[in-house]
Amino acid sequence: MFARKFLSDISQASLLQCIVFLTVMSIFFTFNSPVFITQVNIVNILTASAVIGLMGVGATFVIACGSIDLSTAATMALSSVVCAWTAQNLHLSGLAPICIATVAGGLCGLVTGLLINLTRAPSFIITLGMLSINRALAFILTGGIPIYGLEERITSIADATLCGLSFPAAVMLAGMLVGYLLLSRTKFGAHTLLLGDNPGASEAMGLRVARLRLGIFSLAGCFSGLAGFIFMARTNSGDPSAGMNYELVAITAVVLGGANLFGGRATIPGTLAGVLCLGVLQNGLNLMAISTFYQTLFVGLVLVLASFLRRLGPHQ
Amino acid sequence: MSELKLQSVKKSFGVTTVLQGVTTSFSSGTVTAIVGDNGAGKSTLCKTIAGVYHPDSGKISLDDLSLTHLSPHETREAGIEMIYQDLALAKQHDVVSNLYFGREKTRWPGWLDRKTMSAQSRVVLEQMGIKLPSLRTPIGLLSGGQQQAVAIARALLFSPTVLIMDEPTAALAAREIEHILDLIKKLKERGLIVILISHRLNDVFAVSDRIIALRSGSIVADNLVQETSMQDVVAQIMIA
Repeated sequence: MFARKFLSDISQASLLQCIVFLTVMSIFFTFNSPVFITQVNIVNILTASAVIGLMGVGATFVIACGSIDLSTAATMALSSVVCAWTAQNLHLSGLAPICIATVAGGLCGLVTGLLINLTRAPSFIITLGMLSINRALAFILTGGIPIYGLEERITSIADATLCGLSFPAAVMLAGMLVGYLLLSRTKFGAHTLLLGDNPGASEAMGLRVARLRLGIFSLAGCFSGLAGFIFMARTNSGDPSAGMNYELVAITAVVLGGANLFGGRATIPGTLAGVLCLGVLQNGLNLMAISTFYQTLFVGLVLVLASFLRRLGPHQ
Repeated sequence: MSELKLQSVKKSFGVTTVLQGVTTSFSSGTVTAIVGDNGAGKSTLCKTIAGVYHPDSGKISLDDLSLTHLSPHETREAGIEMIYQDLALAKQHDVVSNLYFGREKTRWPGWLDRKTMSAQSRVVLEQMGIKLPSLRTPIGLLSGGQQQAVAIARALLFSPTVLIMDEPTAALAAREIEHILDLIKKLKERGLIVILISHRLNDVFAVSDRIIALRSGSIVADNLVQETSMQDVVAQIMIA
């Protein structure tokens, strides 16, 4: 049943397009760079995609329920700052910094969800506000200066390996697995998708919509917080300006993976494929020494092309 | 034998009073049609029974259970199902997801039990004589009649005591209407309290035992079908 559901997810037309696109890009870059298809480079792609991947898992839930979260990157930055500050001042190690970053992100998400429920305003507006608030809090906490010089036992986590994967890549894949199980195998996930498909019907059918929305935004916040920890460990700093515009990249990845931006349809395998598409594209262009200006252009073109192809898909 | 009672139910939205102290009751094994012009308060009355709206005053009860302040979730648990005019279906989801909308079955450790849900869906649809291309078909790809049938099957899946149907035959083809009316007759035989809102008096007279006419939020007529005629009902609805 598990395998059948997974196969059903990845056989969706839009996701298949994404996988085909990923394959075509990989073949293209393999012919243009001798190091592209090496184990080291593949691990590099996964490692570099970890932050966007984790934010993408949260964004998948938010988009699936018919909302949008523009504050994920700001939440990620605030979480990394809070984590760096507490780790440095309280000399934390082990799982504690990871928990602190995740809880900080979760709290930000909880506040966002509460505000959306209380004001009944569109999530776009509230999360736009939260983007500014969270980013400002990160700057206020640090006085605008990144927190450097974290203890080695924290930063060394980023260099650790698990089953041949870097720690960030392993955390991203574990996060994807948790997200996949939650979205496709639990009531919470089913209700998230149903809410996005028909909010009015969800209320009429007795779903506790406000509580559900709170859970979704808190979960997305937790994933952003976890991404904040990975960012902090990789850069050895709690940087208030971390991940500017990452929220848009995460949303791009989710949409590339076949999610309906208006809710009701989204899959974690799709998001993974979308994240890898962007990761492979960026990595391949880097290896071909193409300027970052052009890289941004290509990301935009990929999104436009994917949208165009989707309109030609059979489900349209 | 169950009885659904409404006592002096009032409901306003802002300055507009939609229900002006409605008092009536509904018994098992009967189909009661609620008719009225647009804005008469038919849908509001039914949504108030279903827990979507809470009355400003008055009481609603099913036997000894008070429904007055229950949420839609709690009224469903109490055995009251409503089929909404827009059907309240999730169009991108498949038939099984819609049948179990909000009441999904789970197994340890909290995973959705799709196998059981699919098997039970198949049984219910078969019992009701509903034929669908596949249980995995997204609802949006089904015909209007098939979507209506899924909405009815969903309402019946958990053996309700009361079934409220808001315009079940609107926007259906003639053959599909016939099928839905047959289904309503079967539900009556099963002993359900069926409340039917419809603008189509032909359908109302075909399946109902009793007709309540609403005008400006008040009951202006309450007749057994054999004691009234279509002309009388139209007059009751239209003439103040």
